[in-house]
Formats: sequence, C-alpha cells, structure tokens
Amino acid sequence: MSPIGSSGRVAQAGRPDGALAGEAAVDGRGPASKSPRVRNGRRAERLAPYVLVAPAVLIIVVLRLWPLGLGVNFSFTGDGERNGATVGFDNYAELIDDPLFRTALRNVGWLVLLLPVAVAIPGLLATFIYLRVPGHQIFRSVYFFPAVLSPVIIGAIFNLLLAFDGPLNAVLGGSGLGPVDWLGDPDVAMFTVVGVHIWATSGMALVVFLAGFSTLDPALLDAARVDGASLARMIWHVIIPGLSRTIQFVVVTTMIGMLTSMFGLLYVMTSGGPEGSTYLPEYYIWVQQGQMSSPALASAASTVLFLVMLVVGLLQVGLLRRAGRED
Amino acid sequence: MSRLGPSRWLVAVPMTLLALATIYPLLFTANVAMKTRREYVLDRFSLASTLRWDNLSTAWNSDGMGRYFLNSVIVVACAVALLLLIGSMAGFALAQVRFRGSSTLTLVCLAALFIPFQVIMVPLARIMADGGLIDTYPGLVLAYVAQFLPFTVFLLTSYYRAVPTELVDAARIDGNTLYGVYRRIMLPMGAPALLSVGILDALFCWNDVLISLLMMPSADHRTLMVGITSLRGQYSADIPTFAAGVLIAGLPVLVTYLFLQRQIADGVTAGATKG
Repeated sequence: MSPIGSSGRVAQAGRPDGALAGEAAVDGRGPASKSPRVRNGRRAERLAPYVLVAPAVLIIVVLRLWPLGLGVNFSFTGDGERNGATVGFDNYAELIDDPLFRTALRNVGWLVLLLPVAVAIPGLLATFIYLRVPGHQIFRSVYFFPAVLSPVIIGAIFNLLLAFDGPLNAVLGGSGLGPVDWLGDPDVAMFTVVGVHIWATSGMALVVFLAGFSTLDPALLDAARVDGASLARMIWHVIIPGLSRTIQFVVVTTMIGMLTSMFGLLYVMTSGGPEGSTYLPEYYIWVQQGQMSSPALASAASTVLFLVMLVVGLLQVGLLRRAGRED
Repeated sequence: MSRLGPSRWLVAVPMTLLALATIYPLLFTANVAMKTRREYVLDRFSLASTLRWDNLSTAWNSDGMGRYFLNSVIVVACAVALLLLIGSMAGFALAQVRFRGSSTLTLVCLAALFIPFQVIMVPLARIMADGGLIDTYPGLVLAYVAQFLPFTVFLLTSYYRAVPTELVDAARIDGNTLYGVYRRIMLPMGAPALLSVGILDALFCWNDVLISLLMMPSADHRTLMVGITSLRGQYSADIPTFAAGVLIAGLPVLVTYLFLQRQIADGVTAGATKG
C-alpha cells in the first residue's frame, strides 16, 4: 500500500522531474514555493488526515470507550442513599444474591448450550443452497428476510401466533396434542423466545455462510462426489474444514447476538416474565437502570456481561482454533 | 445444475416447508390486518373476506402513529447521513493515508466494535443527561451515530483499502488537497460501499428499541418501534388494528428488502470476509 502522506514519493512516482518541484506540487500550488501561504498550506496538508479522522475518533472515544471505563468505576459506588460513595464489591455481592440475576446467568448458560443449534441450522441450509437445491435462489431470499425485521415486529407477530388461545395452539389442539402455554409457562417461555430469535436471525448467518462458500474450491467437492462420498461425509471432510474461518466468525457473532440483541424480543414478548424466567443480563441492566433506579447495580451487571462475553468469546476462538489445527 | 444429485428433491421438500414456515407468520399478520374484529374472533385462519384497508387507516390515525413514524424518519435520516459522512472521512484517511498514529487510531475504532451497547448503557445515559441531550432529537441521533460508527468505519476502511493508491497520487499531482481528493474522488468512488453500509445502518436505527427507549422517554418523541409497543396496549382487544400497525411499521423494511436485498447481503458479508 502506497501512502500518500509522504510527499516526495508521490511526486517522484508521478513526475520524472519530481525531486525539485515535487513537494510544492503536492501542496497543489505549483512550483512558486517557499511563500508563507505555501508553508501554511503544507501544514494544513499534514494536519488533513487528523482532521478527517477526528470526528469519528472523538465520538468513539467519548461515547464508547470512555463510558466503558466509567461504568466499571461506577459499579464500585452505591445507589440511592449511598449515591457516589465507594462501596467496594457490594454491588457484585448484591447481584449474586439476586435470584433474577442468577436466572439471567442461567439463561446465558442455556444460550451457550443452544449455540450449536443456532449455527448448524443456517449452516445446513446454506450448504443445500450452495449445492443448488431446486429453487435455491428463492430459499435464500425467503430465509434472509426475517433478519432485517425489527425484533419488535417479530415479537408482535409471534405474540399473536403463540398466544395461549392463538393459532398455533389451535392447530396443536386439533391434532390431539395439548395446548402449550408458550409464553406463560416459566419452563417453556425462555426456549420459545430463543426459538423465535433463532428463526429471526439465522438469515444473517445463512448469508455469511454463503459468502464463505464462494471462497471454497468447487473442485474439492466434485472430487469428493466422484469418489462416491455421501453428503454427510462431504460436509464433514470437505465443507467444515474448508469453511473453518467462516464458521468461527458465525459462532462468535451468533453468540454476541444472543447476548446483546434479544432485548427487543424480551421487551415485547415476555417483559422478563413469567416469574422472571426470561431474564437475560441485558434485560436486567435495563430494568435496574430504568425502573429500579439503581444505575450502580446496573453498571455492575454490565461489567459482568462484558466479562462473560469476553470469556465466552475467547474460549470459543481458542476451541475453534485447536479444532482447526487437528484437522 | 444441482450439485446434489438425485437426493435433491428429498432436500427440497423440507426446505420448502421451512420457507413456508418462514413466510407464514408474515402472511398471517397481513391477513389479520385485513379482517374485521368479528371475523378474527370467529376464525383466525380464514382469508379476509375482502381487502379491507380500514384497519390500516385506523392504526395510522390512532394516537401518535403518524408522529412516531415521522420521528423515526427524521432520526434515521440524520443518523445515516452523519454516519456516512464521518465514517467515509475516517475510512478514507485510515486506509489511504499514512500518518503518525494511524494504526493506533484504527485500533481504537476496531476495539469499539466489541463493546455492546448494554455494557455502556448506564454511563452513556449519564453523559447524555449531563449534556442535556436526553429526550432530544440530536441526542438520539448522536447515540445512534456512536453505536454504529465503529461498524461503519470498519467496513468503509476495508473498502477504501482495496482502492489503488495510484488514483489518489494522480489526483494530488493534479493539484488537489487531501480534502479535495476525498470530496472529488473518494466520496463518489465509495458510492457502492456507502449504499450498502448506509442501508444497513438505516435498518439498524429503524429497528432499534433499546437505545430509543433509553434516550427518548417522553411519549411525543417515541420512534416507531417504541410506538408499536405502546399501540399494543391501546388495541389489546382489537387485534386486527394492532396487526395493521405492525404491518405499517414493517412495510418500509419490506420495500427496502425487495429492492436492495443484494446490497444488504453485501454489507452483512463484507464484515465476515474482510475481518
């Protein structure tokens, strides 16, 4: 990559006589050099990249990086009467004692366990689309669509479909299976919401998988088929190793998505209920900060969420790397 | 030609069923929106007897819906314009200009990609409150810009990396300043990437609830997605009208998808293949 900040090189590349006239030419003022205006111009040019980057860096530092540090700090101070006072790890102790937060963490555990399903479904669908199942282009468009819809809209639609007296239970009742209280049963509700989340977001992963497939060498697959390999063997021996980078990316982004973009669904479908069974850390943070006016406690929960994501993310990358090497 | 061999029809059947299961919830909602309350209560599944637009106009004219829609349009338009401007300036400079500290600044922008909103939500609300920005349009716009800027800078930087630097060199020799190069060459050249990233940013902002809930507490300032949730309370006994409201909120996204599906997919996958 040739940098354009180093003026001499630019001039030489462009003009054979660049050595002398070069610097002035880069400033855009012709060879009449050395006047104060030109020097100002050159200074302005040196500053130009900083000026271009400044707004982005400023916003990111002030509104994303700084709050991260601020929040960690904040989690060691008190709420309410003890507002602003340093309380050490009291907020963290309170979190551990709070059954709602424990439920939230347990649900994170479920999400981690369900992750392979959330990755395998779009992966398998992408495989069939890549192998040109009849109608593959239509499938691609249809499966991808829910991924661009708002969780609010999806949640509202599924509220209608999954209501206790709603259509899905009507169908189940008609076929002899009892009605299921999809959103009202504490043992079921979390899985319902996760299911809807997977339905809604697997289109994203599908498209990413398809992009990964386009980098795969088709000759490998053809060779495997000539050798009479079954579909399962082809997936295991050709596709999975060939797509290891894509799979890694999808695993990590799907996990991040599960931990940080289910708020809309929870807000619309369950509001954390029934009996607090569908709490996730992100919902807990929002409730503590807004309804309960406990921003410091919320900050402690935020810090825990960040650590959980960091640990899960690093573990996954580590595991996948090792798996990749063994192949 | 299918690469699946004779088993392809065996695969096509479950995939078709799955596709139907994907579309059905959407069709169901559209159908409900066309029904009268009576029709809905009597039979949820039957097709609406006629295409009836009353529910749509009831939902549209109900408290605040028009207002919410307008709020969303204003905020999303401003946020996307700012994101593209700031993002392309930074992307161009980071990708094409070598200057002291550029790799550190690139790292700063990338690191922010891994900080989810929920983690910084509390202190951010406090910063915004200190700045008097809570419950204002600029406040919400700024919150969206801050949220989606790392992604925008990341994608535009990788796009501009692929542009040959000879182009920039030539323009500089022709007497352009760096700003001139950005405005006359890089901005027009970046159009395809700006379109992809811009649509994605627009979808993210349009679909958001959490940031909007946090930044815009008063009813007048609700964006459409938050407004929809309040519509549910208002029409809890009138499901067809509520369904019509959901339809109105989803329609702009559907239209965008039908026309720009490829660009949306390009934006989503650019992060995966270049990362």
